[in-house]
Amino acid sequence: MNNVPGNVSESVLEIKGLEVVYSTNRGDVKAVRGIDLDVRRGEILGIAGESGSGKSTLAVALLRLLKAPGKVTGGSVLFNPAGRSPVDLLKVHGEELRVLRWSALSYLPQGSMSSLNPVMRVEDQFKDVILEHAPERKSSLHEMIPRLLAQVGLEPRVARMYPHELSGGMKQRVLMAIAVALEPDLVIADEPTTALDVTIQRVILQSLADLRTDFGVTLMVISHDMGVHAQLADRVAVMYEGQLVEVGDVRQVFKDPQDAYTRQLIESIPKLGRRAS
Amino acid sequence: MKSELELRGVQQRFHARGVADGYITAVDDVSFSLAASPPQIVSLVGQSGSGKSTIARNVLGLQKPTAGSVLYGGKDIFKLSRAEYDEYRRDVQPVFQDPYAIFNPFYRVDRVLWKAVKKFKLADTRAKGLELIEESLRAVRLEPENVLGRYPHQLSGGQRQRIMLARVHMLRPSFIIADEPVSMLDAQVRKHFLDILLDFQIKHGMTTLFITHDLSTVYYLGGEVMVITKGEIVERGPVSTVMHEPSHPYTKLLLDSIPQPDPDQRWTSRIAVDELERLDDANPAADTKPEAPII
Repeated sequence: MNNVPGNVSESVLEIKGLEVVYSTNRGDVKAVRGIDLDVRRGEILGIAGESGSGKSTLAVALLRLLKAPGKVTGGSVLFNPAGRSPVDLLKVHGEELRVLRWSALSYLPQGSMSSLNPVMRVEDQFKDVILEHAPERKSSLHEMIPRLLAQVGLEPRVARMYPHELSGGMKQRVLMAIAVALEPDLVIADEPTTALDVTIQRVILQSLADLRTDFGVTLMVISHDMGVHAQLADRVAVMYEGQLVEVGDVRQVFKDPQDAYTRQLIESIPKLGRRAS
Repeated sequence: MKSELELRGVQQRFHARGVADGYITAVDDVSFSLAASPPQIVSLVGQSGSGKSTIARNVLGLQKPTAGSVLYGGKDIFKLSRAEYDEYRRDVQPVFQDPYAIFNPFYRVDRVLWKAVKKFKLADTRAKGLELIEESLRAVRLEPENVLGRYPHQLSGGQRQRIMLARVHMLRPSFIIADEPVSMLDAQVRKHFLDILLDFQIKHGMTTLFITHDLSTVYYLGGEVMVITKGEIVERGPVSTVMHEPSHPYTKLLLDSIPQPDPDQRWTSRIAVDELERLDDANPAADTKPEAPII
């Protein structure tokens, strides 16, 4: 293994045998049933699957944001941030975890959810994150915020605005800029374009692709929309009932699906628009 | 029951902060008509801030346009006599987006239906009223015993939205104005809801103005579609024509922006962010107040 600190391992994340259950009074529900998956450095990995397939549970488990009654019952998640020692994400706690968050591992939530604080200006939400996770950058804040906003195609004046003054697409781009503020190794995006208009969705997907091209961010993009994966991902992992049924290059998954469920998923996509005719 | 609902040169402006002349125009010279017969489904599609919900408010008489008129049976809806207004109120029924906001959480859901029975004198005895309510609930594929006597929080979003459809079913309006009625429902429940609307069209001859930002629901409903951007309707035609041979550049952009599930058909061009930002500025939700108080 080449997981020596300072060295750059090929995989950012090595998930092995991950299991997550939700305890209910009628017994445990297995949401993630033994997942093995590598996330390669610099790639955009799409996680596809229908509602209830366990894709969001996988995301929150990796981010260590899983709440009771959910609990991880098995497996390991080896995280290899550049320039740091590899760690098992499932075993880090407290300060160690806090240091990793945002600077190495960050999260892009669904923008239509109330992810921004409604009573804080956009710039203060940036400050909040940056000062919490990288207090040494305090002096460069005034330079960072406009630069981060520009990365996602927003003007500097957006910094002075409140979330209610922004459209859905602008909010999602602010969230993207916050997610990459500390140049993380890996960003996990959970349904980043769901509930946005198609044109805004296209801009967001464009910006996500740019983040990888321009800054080398590794992205794990969770979406139920196969169209999003076809447009954005390098590789796609398909989940069904808590398991991975197929992982492969995006062209292979769409053109030559190996698994019956994947084939069904692709066939069930309604074809519309001119290019589909 | 009147045969036609028509918008003639409707314009809606709102006061706005930080724009050149102090106004933004949410709806700009919009004219179209909806015929009750033959019953049809006409979708109005556009992105956030395009003015589509403002049009719904205009048609429903909730907002008086700053210019132009909304005509029901040839008469301006803001100049109807009491009796005519009551008829219009019954004959043009809304279904809104949020199935949570429409109910008073302190009352059982039955109340919404009984109110309709009483207000519009649909039945002269309680037994007949109940019979009517149960019939309408079944028409929207709800079991009366599963929903009657319950409070809104005990029902799912899809069930609540269908109760609003049951109410519409009881009133048998000529026109339904549905403003993003399925946006908060998930895929399967969404299909259910759309099927009921199609049912209403075929079985009860109702015409629906279906307002949405989602092209796949437009495609599913069929019928006619109008495309709106920046307050202007830029294209109208049968769904099959507009979706396959769009004539306006905005419609083309909209259709091109649907992510195709084919990695070999990736977008090659980019959308200019500036262009969309200007569209965002037209969003009347931010920093504006209506010129006239909302009734």
